[in-house]
Amino acid sequence: MSQALSVPHLLGIKSLTESDIQLIFETADEFKSVINRPIKKVPSLRDITIANIFFENSTRTKLSFELAEKRLSADVVNFSSGNSSVKKGETLLDTVNNILSMKVDMVVMRHSSPGAPHFLSRYIDANIVNAGDGTHEHPTQALLDTFSIREKLGDVSGKKVAILGDILHSRVALSNIFALQKLGAEVMVCGPNTLIPKYLGNLGVKITSNIREALHWCDVANVLRIQLERQHIKFFPSLREYSMHFGLNKQLLAELDKPITILHPGPINRGVEITSDVADSDHAIILDQVENGVAVRMAVLYLLASIRQN
Amino acid sequence: MKLRIDNATIVSPGSTWHGKSPSITIQNGHVTAMDSPGEPAEVVWNAQGMRLSAGWGDMRAQFGDPGLEHKEDLESGCAAAAAGGFTQVCLLPNTQPVIQSKNDIQYLIAGNSRRVTQVRPLAAVTKDAKGEDFTDMLDLHAAGAAAFTDGSAPIWHTDILLKTLLYLQKIDALLINRPEDRLLTHFASMHEGITSTRLGTPGMPRLAETLIVQRDLQILRYTGGRLHFANVSTPESLSHIRQAKADGLQVTCDVAAYQLLWLDEVLEENPFDTHFKVNPPLREASDREALLQGLNDGTIDVLVTSHTPQDEESKKLEFDLADFGMTGLEMFLPMMMKLGEDAPEEVWIEKVTTNPNALLGQKDDPFAIDSLANFTVYNPEQVWKYDAASCKSKAYNHPWFGAEVTGKVKGAIYGNRNWSEDL
Repeated sequence: MSQALSVPHLLGIKSLTESDIQLIFETADEFKSVINRPIKKVPSLRDITIANIFFENSTRTKLSFELAEKRLSADVVNFSSGNSSVKKGETLLDTVNNILSMKVDMVVMRHSSPGAPHFLSRYIDANIVNAGDGTHEHPTQALLDTFSIREKLGDVSGKKVAILGDILHSRVALSNIFALQKLGAEVMVCGPNTLIPKYLGNLGVKITSNIREALHWCDVANVLRIQLERQHIKFFPSLREYSMHFGLNKQLLAELDKPITILHPGPINRGVEITSDVADSDHAIILDQVENGVAVRMAVLYLLASIRQN
Repeated sequence: MKLRIDNATIVSPGSTWHGKSPSITIQNGHVTAMDSPGEPAEVVWNAQGMRLSAGWGDMRAQFGDPGLEHKEDLESGCAAAAAGGFTQVCLLPNTQPVIQSKNDIQYLIAGNSRRVTQVRPLAAVTKDAKGEDFTDMLDLHAAGAAAFTDGSAPIWHTDILLKTLLYLQKIDALLINRPEDRLLTHFASMHEGITSTRLGTPGMPRLAETLIVQRDLQILRYTGGRLHFANVSTPESLSHIRQAKADGLQVTCDVAAYQLLWLDEVLEENPFDTHFKVNPPLREASDREALLQGLNDGTIDVLVTSHTPQDEESKKLEFDLADFGMTGLEMFLPMMMKLGEDAPEEVWIEKVTTNPNALLGQKDDPFAIDSLANFTVYNPEQVWKYDAASCKSKAYNHPWFGAEVTGKVKGAIYGNRNWSEDL
């Protein structure tokens, strides 16, 4: 296996090879042991400055990246703006170039526009990590999800993973589909038909609007949050109806003849897409995902920085 | 002034001169002699190895004059059109303000007498192109409006469309509609398909176009009149139009040249490259195949450039925030050359000469003695660089900007104005 990523940026899972993903996992294994030591810090990135540029609200992803960066001894600067619209004045390129003028080596960016990091990568010299671009990709989330499945079940290959919820507006769903398929898993999505892209089936994904069918089929259920902030028009009548027909609850799990592993990228809307008794059950690995998020992000930053340093 | 053109091979399907290379003599802006070798003239163009056709007409271009002159003004736009071989160009009314008064029309055509390229203004059907309240269409027609359209804004209001088709019959004017149901293309910036799915980007379904084509044809059946669909892009649209033509309806349509060259996949090969953000969007191989078939079998009457100049501030942006459109006037010939046998010369020439002229009421034989001189001379084989030095438009938003292209327009004549290069 090669010891370097095949890409200078992490723009999406789409552009990674399977061996890139395996390399990230193996590196994350090492970092996971580091962050469980009394001294959680390594000096790997001490000559690297990273800017976390978040044009969309984020708590956990930003925190997770910042912790990962600090545990690698990188210098960190943060920029947050609730609005990425050019109508507010400065363009994305100007904002980022301003930050880069202060000698920043890597950019971690969240943005509401699909492809914003790809756009940026054409014009700037820094290595870019996509921390979520609109409804397109959220690669580090998919990496930590698949890393957590691997940790829990031993392997991702051959597993059946159901992704439940708002697929249409979810960058987590798309990145997960790409990652799971590259690693040899099967994927089914489940949600109201209005929240499933019309051509998703062409990606080799199974589709259902029957949550029982999805749960019976799968080994792992990844429950997505309803992205009300990305729904400018109506896609379903009410949250009440959504939770009744598409939400995951204990009764549904009790009907199954096998335990399934439950993931959720957070933040959880308890009582909407998942009930508390399921979210807090032994089969839910939601908090493991959060812990693994730091290790996986350390791995991504470390591997991209090695390309830069070489 | 007396001008003689020697040695150019005429491309004019249906004309007795097609394929021949007569010397053409032009005096005071009119053809005075055909097949007149050695006729004394003050200026002689030696067009050896080149083609000559009737002057090209573009039925759908956008400048930014008035209001958005920084994108394209009348001078730069007409210069780009002339350089691209277009002696006539129909401008969309979507300027600021919208073209909806006699004054607006007069402003646009005032420069015609000093330019090679003639502006043929398209006037808005409704005030501010909002689709709600009629403009004074008869008055606009009398002032020189070539046809009526809300341009880039589809006429969404069923009753407005119906009444316009009825009203315009008095003057036998053409109504042009861009078929798009905007309720189905909300927030979308590309074609809906597997590529938009992979790019996580909201897509425009074919349905959004086809529905309006169907609706408009039903209305046309009811009202009569002349309806032209702008920028069709789906096989379903073409089958409805084909059937309507067979049924005897006065319906025509055009396709944008770019639609024949690129597919939506290009947005995955060049991820989120805003050069390729156009409306209607680049679609799939099966759509392109159907469009080429429609072009060759005559279902598509007209080829347009859909020239949409954008400044850097409107294009060097995140994909969903960037404006739609690419330029096309200067790259039209290179695009046709690139299509090669997919769009034979005899086919595309008709779609920028005879067919649009007929739709706009110009049916003269360009080679008849005493007809107004209106010709384009081009070299289909010349390789040249399309860059800031050669580009006449203010805008550079074409994927080939900076590249070597094949096919160069060498001269154009309209009446007593002309330009030429190395002839």
